[in-house]
Amino acid sequence: MSEAINIGTIDDIDEGEAKVIPAEENGTGEDIAVFHAEDGNFYALDDTCTHETASLADGWIEGTEVECPVHSAKFCLKSGTALCMPATLAARTHKVEVSGNDVLLYPAVSVVDA
Amino acid sequence: MSTTDSCPSEANAAIGKMRGSEHGPKNIDVSALVDAEGGLIDRSIYTDPGIYDQEMRRIFARSWLFLAHASQFKKPGDFFTTFMGQDPVIVTMDKTKTIRAYLNSCRHRGMRLCRADAGATKMFTCTYHGWSFDLAGALQTVPNEKAYPEDFDKKQWGLIEVPRVAEYKGLLFGNWDKDAEDLEETLGDMRYYLDAMLDRDPEGTEVIGGVMKWELEGNWKLAAEQFATDWYHVNMSHASALMVMSPTGKGPKAEIVATPGRQFLSPNGHGAGFPTHPKSRFDAQAVHEHYDYDALRERLGDAAVEGPMTTGHATVFPSFSYLPVNGSIRIWHPKGPNKIEVWAWILVDKSMPEDVKDAQRLYNLRTFGPSGIFEADDGENWSEIQAVSGGFVTNSVPLNFQMGIGSEREDGVYPGQTSELYSDAAGRSFYRHWAELMNTPAWHERPAPAPAGESA
Repeated sequence: MSEAINIGTIDDIDEGEAKVIPAEENGTGEDIAVFHAEDGNFYALDDTCTHETASLADGWIEGTEVECPVHSAKFCLKSGTALCMPATLAARTHKVEVSGNDVLLYPAVSVVDA
Repeated sequence: MSTTDSCPSEANAAIGKMRGSEHGPKNIDVSALVDAEGGLIDRSIYTDPGIYDQEMRRIFARSWLFLAHASQFKKPGDFFTTFMGQDPVIVTMDKTKTIRAYLNSCRHRGMRLCRADAGATKMFTCTYHGWSFDLAGALQTVPNEKAYPEDFDKKQWGLIEVPRVAEYKGLLFGNWDKDAEDLEETLGDMRYYLDAMLDRDPEGTEVIGGVMKWELEGNWKLAAEQFATDWYHVNMSHASALMVMSPTGKGPKAEIVATPGRQFLSPNGHGAGFPTHPKSRFDAQAVHEHYDYDALRERLGDAAVEGPMTTGHATVFPSFSYLPVNGSIRIWHPKGPNKIEVWAWILVDKSMPEDVKDAQRLYNLRTFGPSGIFEADDGENWSEIQAVSGGFVTNSVPLNFQMGIGSEREDGVYPGQTSELYSDAAGRSFYRHWAELMNTPAWHERPAPAPAGESA
């Protein structure tokens, strides 16, 4: 299991917003988006939409889904599942924990397989 | 049933009779508006009224145009009224069971002669003054004929006949050019792709239900071109419809987006695109279960069954398009540069049981009928393109047809030149052929020899 990265406090990401942890910081080779969902929880997916090249962190967060800002593909923040066309491939998930006020990201630790 | 191509009639000398050579309209050289090699199209070809008028003269007045399906004519006197370009025509079966087509305009004062969509008749009688024409187009009765001069000859005032009508496996086409290349030659390799829809059943095809007609804002080429060349739009434009069609709970499928496939392009402007898969099938469950795919492989060949027989799109230049998976055959009637009237039929195999025909009819209506979940997406796109195209700057910006440039080749499987499924190749060849015709004088522009015995 990889080391957790402290990406800041829970107040750094407003509800309905997301923060990108760049590839060089998270060590996975891909940018990761950490989402503050409307259920109050934090989730993380690879930031680049599996359809084309758009940042999901720039997308629309509704409930526990994110809608890609470019072609409107939707993904489940909890499982990464592609929920509608034009995306067909799931986004990779990464475990996120809240410890006190700190948000901890576990890059490459899948939520789905865990 | 036969057609006039087995007994060709002469082009009627009355066409253009009173026009001297100076009267001819000015033609626009479209060379600069179509760059088929570079994949650029000038937007004025969709909006310019002068271009549109020239299309009527140099595209529609000289091309093989879809008229009707042969199953619409069973007995002498059965008729169907339609259009060739903007010219109204009556298609009918005469007493010798020959399919003939006439200009639907009375020779007297030009009234629309037959005002019904379809039916059966003995004579076509004008509702204005009562001139009456028989099924062979001959003028039979003229009320108060005695008041006409002595040299009034009814033989000179028969209906203007479309000189060429020909059938290809149930599809009837007409051509105003009596010297046009034969229909089958014009179709060329396109016949293989048509056969995948028209020749599944030894008994052939028929149309069921009526003709669905609806209007769209948009230039006719937007629709014709899309059906020739555009699988690209499917995943974007039809995303919601594809989701509705996907099996419940299965979600979006990569196989839909990343499907392999080919696109056929014809030097005569036709085009067809289709995914290829060993298990290609008809979407409507009853239709799928009806078919013996092994028998179809024997009849049409593996490549046809795995490709163009089921899912795909096609256009026969200029304005006839079809979708084999739901049996939609349609014509894009031009109604000015900015308007299309879509006329759509539902084609089924004759030997299908009634319940299978009905299942295909319902599937057709759900997807590509006038309110079909896919059809509505397409109409919206074309109308939006047209709605914004009037702006001067908007209209001055070239459009892009560059996908798959250089990908055209003979693939050793599908006849003719093919490209990738996702490609603009058939679009480029559609416009290349369009531009060739637009820049070439048509039959009516050549000086006609004066008929013997007739003074000018």
